[in-house]
Amino acid sequence: MTVTTPQTVIVSAVRRRHIPFSVLMGLGLAFLIVCAALMSFYIAPFDPMRMAAGPRLAAPSIQYWFGTDEFGRDLLSRVLVGGRLSLGIGVAAVLSGLVAGGLLGLIAAFSGRAIEAVLLRLIDVLYSFPDTLIALALVAFLGPGIENATLAIAISLVPFYARVTYGLAAAERAKPYIEAARLAGISSGRLVRVHVMPNIVQSLIVMGTLGFSSAILSAAGLSFLGLGVQPPSPEWGAILASGRNYITKAPWVLIFPGAAICLTVLSFNLIGDGLRDLVDPRRKGR
Amino acid sequence: MLVLISKRILMALATVILVIVLSGTLIHVVPGDPVTAMMAQSVTATPEAMAAMRSRLGLDQPVWQQVLIYLWHVLQGDLGTTIRGNEPVAMLLLERLPNTLTLAVSGLAIALAIGIPLGFLAAVHRGRIADTIVMVIAVLGVSIPAFWLGLIMIQVFSLKLGWLPVAGSSWRNILLPALTLGLTYCALVARMTRSAMIEVLGEDYIRTARARGLREHQVLLVHALRPALISIVTVVGLVFAYLLGGQVIIENVFSWNGIGRLAIQAMLERDYPMIQGFIVVFATSVVIISMLIDILYGFLDPRMRQR
Repeated sequence: MTVTTPQTVIVSAVRRRHIPFSVLMGLGLAFLIVCAALMSFYIAPFDPMRMAAGPRLAAPSIQYWFGTDEFGRDLLSRVLVGGRLSLGIGVAAVLSGLVAGGLLGLIAAFSGRAIEAVLLRLIDVLYSFPDTLIALALVAFLGPGIENATLAIAISLVPFYARVTYGLAAAERAKPYIEAARLAGISSGRLVRVHVMPNIVQSLIVMGTLGFSSAILSAAGLSFLGLGVQPPSPEWGAILASGRNYITKAPWVLIFPGAAICLTVLSFNLIGDGLRDLVDPRRKGR
Repeated sequence: MLVLISKRILMALATVILVIVLSGTLIHVVPGDPVTAMMAQSVTATPEAMAAMRSRLGLDQPVWQQVLIYLWHVLQGDLGTTIRGNEPVAMLLLERLPNTLTLAVSGLAIALAIGIPLGFLAAVHRGRIADTIVMVIAVLGVSIPAFWLGLIMIQVFSLKLGWLPVAGSSWRNILLPALTLGLTYCALVARMTRSAMIEVLGEDYIRTARARGLREHQVLLVHALRPALISIVTVVGLVFAYLLGGQVIIENVFSWNGIGRLAIQAMLERDYPMIQGFIVVFATSVVIISMLIDILYGFLDPRMRQR
């Protein structure tokens, strides 16, 4: 009997070259953005922190592709280097949120009815609140700054990942092979490690991609409000916050960092949505 | 039905108590001493003033006692007083809550007015060009940060065209922030409507209705859209909660005099009693709204009443 796992679904889709166009577009866009961010220090034409690299609020030109900001800093260099910060926060927050939420979900699914009921209720309560609000509330107490913002965003993602992991693990738990493994005397820990994890890890990665978009948006929002990355660091939300007073004179200060956020979030949404359709055929076309 | 309502009310109460306890505990996640952090910007931060503040906030008592006292006070409607100005937090928040709810309801109305027809159109023309266009709009909609869209709206409609004022809290001022919220969250509504419609359109009774020779618009509007709208009611609560979350930033972009703007100001000034009060009021609003929507769903869907 062939068991169809999310892993085999994605791998066979790749082999048959049946990857949806939207996923390919998302992957292409994400590849460009990640490469630009990783190589930003080499390809940025100016030092992103250097004041008066050009005239104040200069319009986009051959020399300053994205124009300059209110301190004469080159906007292209700031957006490129800012990508490192924004993507870095996103990756760190998603990885920590995924690990913590995943563990919580697995514990809820495999540790008896009482713990399951309590944890599930707690996860559901937290899940009913917008992640932006949870991140805001936490950062208000932790204080502003890049580390605290990352931690707050990671914690805000925990209910989402815990709920998703619990759903996937509970579905696996009901399958006959788990019953058989239990009857063979395998402990819960080994059961999760050896049998459940390989079957759900692919779906978790897909959910990680979707959480990544949300993390980038939260990071930009926090920095925009002055509660995340602090100026003069060129995080995209922080660039928007400092440039918002000049939008009449210099709309480019608003357009380019905002477009960078949109394209990044869009690329990961396209990847996440497409892959989710592949691993969960019931959702296909919905 | 009565069982459903009482169960839902009890659940909402338990959630609100949990939120109050969490909010009361949050002051202890402040790295270092919360009083030092709070009074860092104050010129009167003498050791005596700091000790007085510590005792005023009850921070000199054991944590469990502080949380219980906080819970007890909040249940009596006392959210404490602000650090700056020494004003009652509950009064300040309640004064601005109507502004916040007006904006949220207007944003939700716009999101539903745009999202439901778009989702309906996409589901009816599934797999065709109209569907593709709606899905592209939907994915773009969830990818654009609301605050950025708000800034673009200000740039276009207020500064370039001069049609609407930039900031304030009158009825004309509500248009731009409500439109920003509506456009941001209509994508989510459109996706959910499409999904619900596709599910309903696959049901046997739709085929029966068509086989009986009913006109297509009758099948779509009467037999398909109505049951689809009932399932959309459940997601409206979710959309509303997310919209309220996004609204905190939007109120700041448009200087809208709501609790979101008040909260961000308090967060920048580290006015902890105000931030805790905001969390309690905000979370309670979300809990009450989702409870009302669940109960409404019970009334609309006869199957739920029998449970």
